[in-house]
Amino acid sequence: MNKTVELRRTKAEYLILALVVVLFLSIPLFAGPYHLAIIMDIGIYAIITMGLILLMGQAGQLSLGQAVFFGLGAYSSAILTTQHHFAPWLALLLAIIITGSIAAGIGRAVLRLKGIIVSGVTLVLNLIFSYLVLSLINLTGGANGIVNIPHLSPVKLIPNSLFDYYFLWIVAFLLLAFSLNLVNSRTGRALRTMNILSGGGEETAQVLGINVMKYKVQVFTLGAVYASIAGSIYAHHLGSIEPDIFGAHLSLLVAIMAIVGGMASPWGAFLGAALLMGLTELLGKFASVVVSGPTGAYELIAYGIILMAVLRFLPQGLIPLFQKLPPQSRHSK
Amino acid sequence: MDLSIVLQFFISGVNLGCIYAALGLGFFVVYSVTRVLNLAQGEFVMVGGMLTATFYSMGVPIILSALIAIAVAGLLGGILHCGVIHPARNLSKATQTFLTVGFAFAIEGIALLVWGWEYKSLPNFLSTPNIHFGGATIIGQTPWVTGITLLAVTGLFLFFGHTLQGKALRACADNPLGAKTIGISVDRMSLYVFILAGAFGGIAGAVITPLTMVSYNIGFPMTIKGLLAAFVGGITRAEGVILGGMVLGMAEAIAAGLMPSEYHSIFAMIILMAVFLCQPHGLLSSSGKT
Repeated sequence: MNKTVELRRTKAEYLILALVVVLFLSIPLFAGPYHLAIIMDIGIYAIITMGLILLMGQAGQLSLGQAVFFGLGAYSSAILTTQHHFAPWLALLLAIIITGSIAAGIGRAVLRLKGIIVSGVTLVLNLIFSYLVLSLINLTGGANGIVNIPHLSPVKLIPNSLFDYYFLWIVAFLLLAFSLNLVNSRTGRALRTMNILSGGGEETAQVLGINVMKYKVQVFTLGAVYASIAGSIYAHHLGSIEPDIFGAHLSLLVAIMAIVGGMASPWGAFLGAALLMGLTELLGKFASVVVSGPTGAYELIAYGIILMAVLRFLPQGLIPLFQKLPPQSRHSK
Repeated sequence: MDLSIVLQFFISGVNLGCIYAALGLGFFVVYSVTRVLNLAQGEFVMVGGMLTATFYSMGVPIILSALIAIAVAGLLGGILHCGVIHPARNLSKATQTFLTVGFAFAIEGIALLVWGWEYKSLPNFLSTPNIHFGGATIIGQTPWVTGITLLAVTGLFLFFGHTLQGKALRACADNPLGAKTIGISVDRMSLYVFILAGAFGGIAGAVITPLTMVSYNIGFPMTIKGLLAAFVGGITRAEGVILGGMVLGMAEAIAAGLMPSEYHSIFAMIILMAVFLCQPHGLLSSSGKT
């Protein structure tokens, strides 16, 4: 019975996906550059968050290190193009391989631990990464960062920002389609079986013959690759990066987006990213007392209160509000 | 190597180690009783430092300023427990851990509202001058850092070892269900550890402010440094956290003496990774489980 439900759901999801894709591709026709920039930010955050949702929502591994892999992707792309003169698209692909390999190594070490300790250790990774970036000045430019990162677009048919917009959102939707497939695949079911957060367990999974460690490292690496892609696009889009962006705050913000959006479905990433970025914009406009720089006081307070409220009163996040079927039918026991 | 250099490394290593240990012990007390990783621990440090500096600038004597700040930080720990953790006591430990992240964000935002972007600093406690000893120079605040941390740690051990409340806390850490059965209120004990963790954070904040400047956003970096000490040593035992803090402090002090300045912290980090790959549960892990 669950099989048919899942298939029907999937078809409906693809229909929504197609509608949303058309909507997003047509947005530049009527939105100005300011709103396009915000929607691009949402896309970047959504891709990073989607990686985390696969890891937390499916496999139940609490990671707070997404900013590290976002940073690795951005720095790999920046260094390969500015110092070694690779083509941007090639740099993006190489960044995926670099970040993926590092993530697989880190995952192998960190995922031996269990439960919330993983969240603490991955949080520590943020500090290690920022110290590394600040010390390896020859490679990363230290606190000054890297400037003059070349643009993604190979030929200049349309404005660069428009090209980036389309490229980002096409990538985002491809990754979403891939994630939806993954959730409904053998791997997705294996991951949910070992998810302690939704009633599964690693012992249960092991008894069923699932290679728990292999799947955990795989999904950790996949989440890192998502972040790396977002990082590369970010670096090539802005043209310059600096170390302040890739810190613990970003990792935590991404986790908040995942929790607020809802971790049962990759759609939650888009919901969470859109909600928090929209809120940031609103607060930035209306609360002009202290607000300046990347995050103002009211934003921090709002993030904190929203996170606490969602955890207490909407533990599934916002995504169940948009789903017709109760969330349980998705996670057939 | 010159003896005075060795002495210098040793003194600054112990000093840094004490700071790391003080940051890490807050995690230990909360984790051992509640199994929650309190990611708002660094905010107590921030509040302790900022309040001490604020009261001092208003003309309050420095020791009194520090005591008030430590009390407020402890109170904040109590608020975190009563307002956030206790109502969610039936939810998973992961949820409770993320609740502390929300609390930390809110505190950081309020601190930004109150104090703005400015950095605050303090003179050495009682304006202790730098001490020259055996060819080594000791910054005037160092004896205060080491002394106060040692005092706090001794107090913690005495409390855990020799008072009824401390023994009840250890019982909760050992087996919450068993503790409940013999009539210990686990909720009350969990309130105590949050207050204790808040006060510990406040102490760390007050003693480090003369050494490093503090501002509204040092919370999460302090949280991470404390986690580092706790993980290197093993979060399940107080001795482990202190040992972890000392290892990190020594590594950082030696690196500071031998390497160009930009590599200090990396060296300590590499130690962490090495420890981690060999002993994933810390140097002094009491058992395999976490």
